Formats: sequence, C-alpha cells, structure tokens
Amino acid sequence: MKDKPAIAMEHVTKTFRLRPGGGRTLKALAMDWIRFGRAGRAFDALSDVCFEVRAGETLGIIGANGSGKSTLLSIAAGAMTPTSGTVATRGTISSLLELGAGFHPDLTGRENVFLYGAIMGLSRKIMRRRFDAIVDFAGIENYIDQPVRHYSSGMYVRLGFAVAVEVDPDILLIDEALSVGDADFQGKCMKKMAEFKERGKTMLMVSHDLATIQSISDRIMLLDNGTVLGTGDAEGMVNRYRVLSAQQGAGELAREWGTGEIKIEDVAFLDEDGQKTSAFRWGRTLTAEIRYRAAERVENPVFGFSVSDRGGRLIYGNNTQLERFAVPEVAGEGRLRLTLNPVCLATGAYLFSFSVHSADHKTNYHRLDHGFPVVVEAEKTAAGPCYMPCQWSQPES
Amino acid sequence: MPTFFRDIYERRELLGILIGRNLKIRYKNSALGFFWTLLSPLFMIVIYSVFARIMKWNLGRDDFLQFLVVGIVVWQFLVMCLNDSLNAIAGNGNLIKKTAFPRHILPVSTVLANAVNFLLTFVVLLGFLLIMRSEFQSVWILPLVMASQCALCLGLSLAISASHVFFKDTEHAIGVGTLAWFFMSPVFYSIDFQMDILPAAWRSAVFLNPMSGVLSAYRYALMSEPIPGAEHVWVSFAMCWAVLLAGQALFRGSENKFADEL
Repeated sequence: MKDKPAIAMEHVTKTFRLRPGGGRTLKALAMDWIRFGRAGRAFDALSDVCFEVRAGETLGIIGANGSGKSTLLSIAAGAMTPTSGTVATRGTISSLLELGAGFHPDLTGRENVFLYGAIMGLSRKIMRRRFDAIVDFAGIENYIDQPVRHYSSGMYVRLGFAVAVEVDPDILLIDEALSVGDADFQGKCMKKMAEFKERGKTMLMVSHDLATIQSISDRIMLLDNGTVLGTGDAEGMVNRYRVLSAQQGAGELAREWGTGEIKIEDVAFLDEDGQKTSAFRWGRTLTAEIRYRAAERVENPVFGFSVSDRGGRLIYGNNTQLERFAVPEVAGEGRLRLTLNPVCLATGAYLFSFSVHSADHKTNYHRLDHGFPVVVEAEKTAAGPCYMPCQWSQPES
Repeated sequence: MPTFFRDIYERRELLGILIGRNLKIRYKNSALGFFWTLLSPLFMIVIYSVFARIMKWNLGRDDFLQFLVVGIVVWQFLVMCLNDSLNAIAGNGNLIKKTAFPRHILPVSTVLANAVNFLLTFVVLLGFLLIMRSEFQSVWILPLVMASQCALCLGLSLAISASHVFFKDTEHAIGVGTLAWFFMSPVFYSIDFQMDILPAAWRSAVFLNPMSGVLSAYRYALMSEPIPGAEHVWVSFAMCWAVLLAGQALFRGSENKFADEL
C-alpha cells in the first residue's frame, strides 16, 4: 500500500492554443480552414512533468503566476486530460476549490454541501452524517440555509474547506485557497491539515504563501514556465524559488556600467563551509568572493557593496574606504573577500550590488547594480528588512 | 453507449441533486415560481388561439383548441431543453475545471429537469382534455413516445451543450434553428398539410422530422387523431434514438477538451 504512489505523473505535457480575441467563433473556424491550419499560438502550460507523491505525503507546488500550478492540479483531479503523458492516482480525490468555486450562488449553503458531496461521489446518507461537522467547522450555523450569494468571501472559503476536508478523501488537492480566511480560521485549517496528515492522507497543495507551504509540505516541487525545476526538501526549494524570483525581478533592475579600468569578473557567495550557495540563514556567515581584473595598474581603488530589497530600495551599503581596509593598488587578476558575520537580514530575498571606483568617487571603474539575488531565512519574523537580536525583560521594581 | 447509461445509473444521486438544482434555480426569485411552468404554455396557447381565430385558421375542426394545446405543450418541452442546454456545460466551468465526474450528467440533468416540468404540465393537459371530452386511445404508447422524445432532446442537448463550449455562435444558431423547425413541424397545422406539399411518392419523408412522428403520436393517443401513412411513423422514432446516438458520440469526442476551453 505504502509503496505505490498516491499520485504519479509521467512526462505530462499540456498544450493550450491561445486564440487572439478569446472565444472561438465559426468565423475563426472558417478562417482556420482557409489557412489550412489552426489559428492561435500553441503554448505548453506544462511540459514533460514527472513526479510522484507517496501515500501519506504532502507535496507543495510553488512557482510564479502562470507557471502551470493550477493546470497541474486540474490534471491531478482528473478534470483535465494531458496532451501527452500519463497520470495515475490511487484513492478518492477531493479538490478544495478556490474561493468556493463550484458552489452555485442561488443555492443555499446546505444545498451546495450536498451537491459537492454528490460530485465527490458520496451518498446522501454519508453526507447527512457529516453535515453537522461541516457546518460546525465552517462556523456558519446561522447562514447555512441562506443562498451562498449572500456569503462573504471568508464564509465561502470556510465552507469550501470544510466540505473538501469532511468528505474525507484519500487525496486532497488545495489550490491557493487559505489566504482568504482570517487568522483564526487559518489556524483551524492548519490543525485540520496536520490531522489529515497524521491519518496518513495525501495532499497536493499550491500556494504563494511560502511560509505556510514550507511548514506543511514534506517536499516541495518548483515549477517555472511549465517545467519542473526541482523537487526536494521544503526549505531548500522555497529558497531556490526565492532566488529564482529575485533573479527574474532583478532582471529589470540589474544594471552594469563603468569605465572598465577594473572589472569585477565574478562574485561567488559562500557559506561557512565554503560551499557556493545563494541561501543563507540569519545569524550565520555570508562570504562573497569577488574576482576582478585590472588591465593596467590602478592605485587606491575602493570596492563596495550594497544590499537592497527586491524593489531595489537600499537597505545597507558599505565599502573598503569606510571600513578603512586599504587596497593600495591592483593589477591583473585578483580576489577580494567580503564577510558578513552575522547575517542580520530578515527572511526574504535581497539583491546585492558590487562596485569598484576611485578613492575620490569621481571614476566608476565597474558597477554591477542589483545583479546578485540572495535569500535569507530567519527563524523569527519581525517588521522591516532586518532582524536585530533583541531581548525583552521586566526590571524588578 | 452502455457506459453512457451505466455512468448515469452509478451517479444517480448526483443526477437527482442536479435535477433538483435546475428546477430550484429556475424558479428562485420569481414570485409565481413553479406556476410559470403552466403559465408559459398557457400564454402561448392564448396567443396562438387568438391569432388563429383572427386569421380564421382552424383546419376546419371543432377541436382545434385541443389540437393546438397538445402541440404547443409538446413543442415547449423540446424548446426548453434546447435553450437550457446551451449552458449545461459552459455554465459550470468551475466544476468542469476542478472536479472529475461524468460530464454528460449535466446535460442529462437538464433534460430530465425539463421532463419533470413537462410531466407536471402534462397532468394539467390531461385534465384539460378530460374536461373537453377528448377521446383517448392506446394510451400505453405514451410512455414510449415520451421516452423517444426524451432521447431526441437528450441527443440534441448533448450536441448543443458541447458545441456551445467551443462556439459561442451556437446560441444564435439555436434561436434560428428552433424557429425554422417549429414551422416545419406539425404544431399548429396537421401532418396532412405537410404531406400534401410533398410529391405522392415522398409523403412518408415527413417522418424524417422526428417531431412529425412524435406530435402525431401524442395526438393519436390523446385525441384519437389518425396518422396518415402510419406504417412509416417508426422512422420518426428511429430518428429520435439516432439523434441520441449521434449527440452522444459528438459529446464523447469533445468532452476531454471542455476543461481546456472553459
């Protein structure tokens, strides 16, 4: 039982045709005929996706908007057929529809609950037995006989979650739905999901809420433009995603300029063990090794760096001059090491910039602005881009 | 085809809930609610009989009112099915995209919800005919006629609901199509009228229109109206079931793409 995967996808590709102007009409069809082909650009929402979710495992899926996460869930649910590849699932599947989608606005909460149960293939008898638990969990006793069109978005989601969980499937698919409920309900959901896991059930979850998905997933799969970039331990993949999205964001901010007497050829980020990485933990050491080359001898250059948030706002900057670290002259190739110990940044993605300029700041030899994304993981959260060690105490009076 | 019916049987609870949903939604937020089921054919009947009187159109018969009422009630069932089918799939995008269940349950529930409506109207129709002292005969054929009409409606409903997912033109085509079909079917005229237009050798071709056979069969049972060329009426009923087969095949062929389009 445990050996066979609950969900297995092999080489799954899903191709959509994008049609200019949305809906298809007979006119468009006629045009296609005339052109001896089908109009619209083909695009792969998923290409060659392979993965397995073991029974009892929770797999998180992360990726930017449009990376194919929802398509993947639709295919796992059996609602969509892949263009090629195979999907195998074991056991009953329930989808937590985003924002109670699938509820009919004119029907009451009660009617929708039974409708959803019937879609999931549960008998009326079983649903009647679970009905109270559903209403109780959603906390909407007073509204259950109201048409759901009168529900707030929070109530929608609560009822949606309650139904999806209480139909007690073997596999639960969750698509970005929990972000809507209030903190209290989110806590209830987390508890329910933990309970669900304990009972050996399988979950496949999509979310942009990286902290939540990291805490609940056993493994995380990172999708980018329909391809699997990797599957691995939750923290590692979340960091990788942060770096990836920082890189994609940095693409617009990154800028390279300067007169070129000295060139920064490369910067390598290393952890305490000297391993290359772009993910660091708060309180540990970050080392950046700068490789430079000067075609001719340059006297008194100043090397600098800065850290900005993903929007390019400066958080911290420093250089060799300010730190009174003398670099009397450079010629040819050389290396310089910057060590930050401890890393005091809060959890998030950051962009490092590096520069080398003259001592009087008049000549910029080479500047690489926002070119180096780095993610930091801190145990605790606080407001702002940094986390300063702090202690609270009450003096004895 | 066997899996088509097996799926329906296996998901009969879902089907029941969907039929209930269709009926409820239709009458929600309307003060007269379910009475519209009776009122809309009633209005149709009033309009047609007033105009028939003005135009002096009574086919030379005393029971023209009964003749017209049977035709319109039966025709309404078809029209309601066709109109409701447009959104049977397209209007349930979220369910289609996120959950797996036999898709044809949706058009089936649309047709059956209308069948429930039709049966209730039919009870009233029977009452009306009794009051008018209409002569019934061989009423045992009625279930068969109704089943065939349902098959016809379902076949069309499958085709329309699937087509509307891909082509928004379907809606317009249905409007024009039903109007043309209405005038080509013996609703407010009798089947002899159709036959007289055709050359003698081709008279039985009228039964290629399934509604010609269906309408005359209802009138045969409810009004003892003879069917000219009755030996060929089976063609209409065969057409009904052929339409179901064709609609089902069309639906099967396209249902995998529903989730992509919605």
